[in-house]
Amino acid sequence: MEIRSGDENTFRRVYDDTFPVLMKVAYHITYNTDVAEDICQDAFIRFYDKNMTFPSEDEARFWLIRVTKNLAINNIKKKAREAASLEKMKRAPQAGNPFSDGASELLLHESRQAVRKAVAELPEIFRTVIVLREYGGLDYKQIAKVLNISESNVKVRVHRARKELEVVLSREDVDVS
Amino acid sequence: MCLDDQILNTYVDGELEEPWKSQVEEHLSYCTSCRNRCNSLRELSRRIQDAQLSSEEIDTRKERVLALIEKNHLNKKKSSFMSRKIKFSMPQIFGVAAAFVIVFAGSWTLMGRSSSNVIPVPEIGYSIDVSNITPVRASDNAGASKSLETYTLDEILKNLDARGYDVDIRLKSIQPVNFDEVSEEKVVLAYADGTSITSDGVARDAQGNILATGLSVEGNTVLTSDGSVVFSELEVLAN
Ligand SMILES: [Zn+2]
Repeated sequence: MEIRSGDENTFRRVYDDTFPVLMKVAYHITYNTDVAEDICQDAFIRFYDKNMTFPSEDEARFWLIRVTKNLAINNIKKKAREAASLEKMKRAPQAGNPFSDGASELLLHESRQAVRKAVAELPEIFRTVIVLREYGGLDYKQIAKVLNISESNVKVRVHRARKELEVVLSREDVDVS
Repeated sequence: MCLDDQILNTYVDGELEEPWKSQVEEHLSYCTSCRNRCNSLRELSRRIQDAQLSSEEIDTRKERVLALIEKNHLNKKKSSFMSRKIKFSMPQIFGVAAAFVIVFAGSWTLMGRSSSNVIPVPEIGYSIDVSNITPVRASDNAGASKSLETYTLDEILKNLDARGYDVDIRLKSIQPVNFDEVSEEKVVLAYADGTSITSDGVARDAQGNILATGLSVEGNTVLTSDGSVVFSELEVLAN
């Protein structure tokens, strides 16, 4: 059924269904809960204000996920550039642990932090696929749609992302023990 | 012959179709090493998923963001720019060669505000003309003795907001071009006509003029930050 994103009831329904996925995607790309929240807000405001027509609610969700993913990727690229120029100025900022989510600091197992760190180190093309798969809960077909790539490309990337994570994490495990 | 890791990943994700799925299952029924591999892939996936953001964290933010959108967008009765988040960092404002803040007020009635959901932000270039610029006079406010210069930007904005104007604030800055930085960006996509896209998401034509910014590249497709496709390889080559 065709939907309009500027319709308040539609907006509320889509918001309710999609916010958790967007927050997870934004968080596991940026690893900053506040930034992730801002990104979700930005995505939903664009969604509502643009009052677009979608052939189905699923298509609206894909649009939101794609926008969120793009905003998150843009954010980390910008951060990387800023970090690089700060480096040049010989400053040393960096406070806190970017891989802990604050609220549950004490409960956060070391393994979790290791995983987050490993995900953050993945090259972008593998990182987005694994985030959409493991945290967004999307299937291959949906990932292909969001990223505008073929399903077989998704298969290859999932496989390579996991392989890379496996290597990094097993190295980490050896370091710890 | 044993099963390839990619096939096992696809199988573990429940994405393997018949007849391959049955073939894999048959192999797994007698091959311990592939079965073990399957289990460790499942374990890996579980471990990755275990690191996900807590649902409490998500729920708090879900409520907060919705409240903000409700206030500023869903229940928008009047111009709401004052409650919108406007964030500037100090270096952004002062670290540049020059910075101006342009306050631009569009007329309420002329911009057809009434029934539309969209804030009609006047754009320089088509909607500006003498009739929809309203000079802000001190006498419009209480303190008739004050001249405009004695009001802070914040007071001017509040005053305009209270009177129902849509106000667009633009921070315009002139930034010195840093050639070192430009040359450091890696070209991620290059087209036959000389257009290139660098890893910072900037598209330039063959002469180095900036065509667009904030792009991201997926394969051969270029997306803007809202996810729409800008151009694909074929389109550009056809030009
Ligand atoms: Zn085997």
